[in-house]
Amino acid sequence: MSEPSTGGRTRDFASVLAEVKPEAERLLAEYPQRRSALLPILRAFQNVEGWLSPEAMSVCAAMVGEPLSVVESTASFYTLFYRRPIGKYMLQPCRNLSCTLRGAEPIMAHFRERLGVEHLQTTDDGLFSYEEVECLAACDRAPCMQVNLEFVFDLTADKVDAILAAMREGRYEVAALPQSAVPAKSWLVTQAPAKRSPGALRVASPDAPGGMGDRSGAQMVERLVEDPYPVVVRPTRERLVTDGAALLANDRDLAAVARDVRPDGAS
Amino acid sequence: MVVKVLTEGIGEVDLCDIEIYRARGGYEQWRRAVTALGAAGVMDATNRSGLRGRGGAGFPTARKWSFLPANGRPRYLVCNSDEAEPGTFKDRMLLERTPHQVIEGILIGSYAIGSRHSFIYIRGEFAEGYRIFKAALAQARAAGFVGERIFGSDVTVELTVHRGAGAYICGEETALLNSLEGRRGEPRLKPPFPAVKGLYGEPTVVNNVETLAYLPHILRNGPEWFASVGPQRSPGFKVVSVSGHVKRPGNFEVPLGTTLRELLELAGGPLEGRKIVAIQPGGGSSACLFEEHLGLSYDFDTMAAHGTMLGSGAIVFFDDSTDFVKAALALVRFYAHESCGQCTPCREGGHWLEVTLERILHGGGVESDIDMLLAVAHQLTGINLCPLGDSIEPFLASVVKRFEGQFRSYVRTLPVPA
Repeated sequence: MSEPSTGGRTRDFASVLAEVKPEAERLLAEYPQRRSALLPILRAFQNVEGWLSPEAMSVCAAMVGEPLSVVESTASFYTLFYRRPIGKYMLQPCRNLSCTLRGAEPIMAHFRERLGVEHLQTTDDGLFSYEEVECLAACDRAPCMQVNLEFVFDLTADKVDAILAAMREGRYEVAALPQSAVPAKSWLVTQAPAKRSPGALRVASPDAPGGMGDRSGAQMVERLVEDPYPVVVRPTRERLVTDGAALLANDRDLAAVARDVRPDGAS
Repeated sequence: MVVKVLTEGIGEVDLCDIEIYRARGGYEQWRRAVTALGAAGVMDATNRSGLRGRGGAGFPTARKWSFLPANGRPRYLVCNSDEAEPGTFKDRMLLERTPHQVIEGILIGSYAIGSRHSFIYIRGEFAEGYRIFKAALAQARAAGFVGERIFGSDVTVELTVHRGAGAYICGEETALLNSLEGRRGEPRLKPPFPAVKGLYGEPTVVNNVETLAYLPHILRNGPEWFASVGPQRSPGFKVVSVSGHVKRPGNFEVPLGTTLRELLELAGGPLEGRKIVAIQPGGGSSACLFEEHLGLSYDFDTMAAHGTMLGSGAIVFFDDSTDFVKAALALVRFYAHESCGQCTPCREGGHWLEVTLERILHGGGVESDIDMLLAVAHQLTGINLCPLGDSIEPFLASVVKRFEGQFRSYVRTLPVPA
């Protein structure tokens, strides 16, 4: 694997960068320290692409002056950052306490049945992504959900059907998300399962969740070899530092920003 | 009795319009703070009001401010609007319905502690609240209330709106500061507390939206007005979010010291033909009270004296139709999902409690699992960097003990899967 894969890209990154750049520059100037602009700049890219492409994260790293690994680590912490393409409508019903008391379970079952997907999956047509989320602070209108972060209150099965129909017909009131690449079945990035202790609670099979079958090393290799959205392009120190800068090479101002925070030869 | 302090005008007029807010006396207390009271005057009024933090911990606000060292370093005020405590929906209402009041409170608080650049951290999910707040801030800036040389003085207060990106833990103040610095939202080891080393390593105060929004009212009506309401050590008003099994869930602003029964009645009472059997009085992290506690005064100290807490002021009522195994799972799964993973007891314990509850609920649970729930929840408490892991035990233990029969009946009746 050599250069950033297109990963089914349907929009070229140069035009994305041109669109985000003015906003990013404004954000960099707004904070006492450049790194504080990381989350807002990531969001600005995601607002344009629908997800955080490897190219976007690479450019963000150059902009805020951090290694790409730090940017990806930070992005991975937050559930509203998607490191894989998602559907045009992100459907997020609440599964927390107040909604559960007011009938969230049958609503979620209805969603899964109507969409034919599970929690954290995208439909085959790339239209819907589905995630059961935690308390959305709308417990007075339970059960509730968000569609592309806009609230829908007092959910019923009929309301769900009407919403889905409107989306399929392109007449739903909330705008569809941009989609610069074709989504896969899930937007989750496979993580090493070894973070939880093995063998507890009479887990019999080593392959069961929490069992002894730790595949973290194997997954890292798989990701390097097979991942259609590689973040690490060429695992040398120089490339890690300068990939984002290279993408910015035709842009004097941003290239200067990148040099400023990562002088060549810095160790 | 419902009062209208923070909620004054909500639902009647468009308080997002700065002209309407100003016509009702808006930003006059900001003017008075800068031109008449001085920072020391604001600090003194806040101290005498007895205002305690409305975010969850209930710490006296003026005392929190007083911890800032006088070392000549830049200081920061950060308004915490990462509202995500299960059952809480008051800050979102304040942001969306009366943003100028929040801005005025932030400005007054910033001036009191000497912050020249303040921040508001708005939860990532609050897209609408963010849009409304940004628009209100632009109005306030255009009117000369935010920025340099406020009211012709040498006072400067900048305000930056920062949005989270989906992480409950960022409501913990040091995690919030990490997130605001562009890092993973992992809580920091304390001490040093933010008052000494906070944002960018400088002295920092983190205050909840509701706490700051009360400041203009305390200045307008005088600290004695606020201090005279409710219990002496827990004075003032509180916006209480009531949800669950009630007819009219919603936000109700009441004097502290209102009884739980009155709050239940304000929310329309139990659903038809049902009776309330449990009350969670202070967000997902609080232990349940039960029907015999409905007469209790709702204030910080009374709740603490009964082994629970007022927390963020979110009350969830449960009626006799409740499946407490499912309710417990909803909250345990939440804490397992939201653990940042830094501390082993929280990361592991939350996960295994979720696995155990799933097993009880869906088959495969054994009688000893019920004791194990209590044991694990207790063992993971008090040994983490932040209170997230500690938040699991109170609710879980209180409902397992009270409704043990429900947990046992699942274990006894469900077949063990092959």
